[in-house]
Amino acid sequence: MIFENILHRPIRTLVSVLAVAIEVGMVMLVVGMTHGMLHETAKRVQGVGADIMVQPPGASMFFGLTQAPMPVKIGERLRQIPHVLAVTPVLFLFNAHGGINLIYGVDMPTFKQVSGGFIYLKGGPFQHPDDILVDDWYARANDVKVGSTLNLLNNNFRVAGIVEHGMGARLFIPLSTAQKLTGAKDKASIFYVKCTDPGYTKAVMNSIKELLPKYELRSIKEYMSLMTSNNLPALNAFITAMVAVAVGIGFLVIFLSMYTTITERTREIGILKSLGAGKRYIMSVILREAGLLSIIGIITGYVGTWLATKVIVATFPTLTVELTVHWAIWAGLLAIGGSLLGAFYPAIRAARLDPVDSLAYE
Amino acid sequence: MGSIFLETTEDQTRGTDQIGGMEPIIATENLTKTYRVGKVDVPALRGVDLVVQEGEFLAVVGPSGCGKSTLLHVLGGLTRPTGGRVLVDGNDFTRMNDAERTKFRRHKIGFVFQRYNLLPTLTARHNIAIAQYIQGDGFNPHRFESVAEMLGIKDKLDRKPYALSGGEQQRVAIARAVICEPKLLLADEPTGNLDTENSQVVLNMLRILNRDFRQTILMITHNPEAASVADRIVRMRDGRIVSD
Repeated sequence: MIFENILHRPIRTLVSVLAVAIEVGMVMLVVGMTHGMLHETAKRVQGVGADIMVQPPGASMFFGLTQAPMPVKIGERLRQIPHVLAVTPVLFLFNAHGGINLIYGVDMPTFKQVSGGFIYLKGGPFQHPDDILVDDWYARANDVKVGSTLNLLNNNFRVAGIVEHGMGARLFIPLSTAQKLTGAKDKASIFYVKCTDPGYTKAVMNSIKELLPKYELRSIKEYMSLMTSNNLPALNAFITAMVAVAVGIGFLVIFLSMYTTITERTREIGILKSLGAGKRYIMSVILREAGLLSIIGIITGYVGTWLATKVIVATFPTLTVELTVHWAIWAGLLAIGGSLLGAFYPAIRAARLDPVDSLAYE
Repeated sequence: MGSIFLETTEDQTRGTDQIGGMEPIIATENLTKTYRVGKVDVPALRGVDLVVQEGEFLAVVGPSGCGKSTLLHVLGGLTRPTGGRVLVDGNDFTRMNDAERTKFRRHKIGFVFQRYNLLPTLTARHNIAIAQYIQGDGFNPHRFESVAEMLGIKDKLDRKPYALSGGEQQRVAIARAVICEPKLLLADEPTGNLDTENSQVVLNMLRILNRDFRQTILMITHNPEAASVADRIVRMRDGRIVSD
């Protein structure tokens, strides 16, 4: 009976299924994109190869939010700490012109000591002060080739090379150029510190604390663990709001769909009552129908999300969408919960219909 | 009519009464039903006294608005009487709540309506079987086959109502009404939407059910020809029985 009912009104069924699918897709994509971008950013920072990050007092773990320069000469003092293998200063530049990008101003020799050096897919290192390196994802997303000109920070850069992604940022310019553009002569936003062995991380951090007591110190391991939405209250609120909107859409559409169904099927409900169907039976028919619609919607949502992810990644190569089983289950549970909640009032209303009035309904 | 209702005692089960002498399937005493339309009370039944024995085929006739349909709804437990008493198979509807009447209806009453009232999304087979599912005993293929055979609808079972003629739909509706072997079959103008030929077929079916299976039937009708099929004819006017 449930199958026949949902097949009887294909447009209504389609709209309900799509609403649930959109609900599931929204939940999974919003969560998947925020988590994906966070984790991808964290992985890139990890990809620099350092063990410790040193930032000036009050600096944010979100590099784009602060440039907070500190003297480059601090690097010399850090290098003298026992078990420190290499130290590289990086100056962050935040470009909001023609897109939002974090640009690393890097000191090539020391950056190579920490990271092992860029892997050049095309072109080579900086030749001139206005040279820029871009990673392969950025190049693909923006159709950038070696020798092309990029206008960033109101400055024209020549693309000297395309490097493999995963080295902190997607765009790199010489440190001296970055300092010149920001007027931060001999300054850096961060020092990446590499130990002779990762096991010395804690000891080196203690030494740095003694040397620079007010500075922000984080091991890369700690940074990786902090880069989750749970540690970002605003992001969590955003995700919660988006999930609430998605569940709200599913709830309202199923509510309306089942509500109109009750009106349309008043006579059928009267027939069931004349056959001796009790309130529980009538409610179960409505709730099972809503449940079936939401299950079809959830499956459609999963397939749609997977397809949307492929399209998003193909269209915007710099975006990362992280779909997890955990959130797929949550999205499914939220969709079923929202649907059943949406169908609950119509089901109660149907169960309470007077059989004589229902049978007389035209 | 003398009272056939005995005074109930404290230890009697709720909604169940003893009837003096042979137990009739239906017994009403001063049965009233008043509908509230806006702020106006509209009396539909004004004191109906009726006794129907098990195995009887009774026709209730009368003009529109005389209370025939209301009587059928009250006897089927679809609506609660306003006053008086009504016993169906020993169960006093005036003392049963909605859920108890629904449960009673599920096991003891079968309905046949003028407009067939088949579920449009289901095939004839599922329209009949759903009564068995609602009753809770599940699908009984043996009973199903014999009812379909008797009503001559075996070759129509996989069709949906829109693909059946009026007569076929009414036969499916009768099959649905009797599939659970109800004690009482209530028919509300069963030939009201049918042509003469199909009316005759449906009336024959009801006659066979009554004669061969001792099915108690209460049928309300406008049609004197239809009423003549019954063993007994009761006439109603203005919410009362005027002749029996």
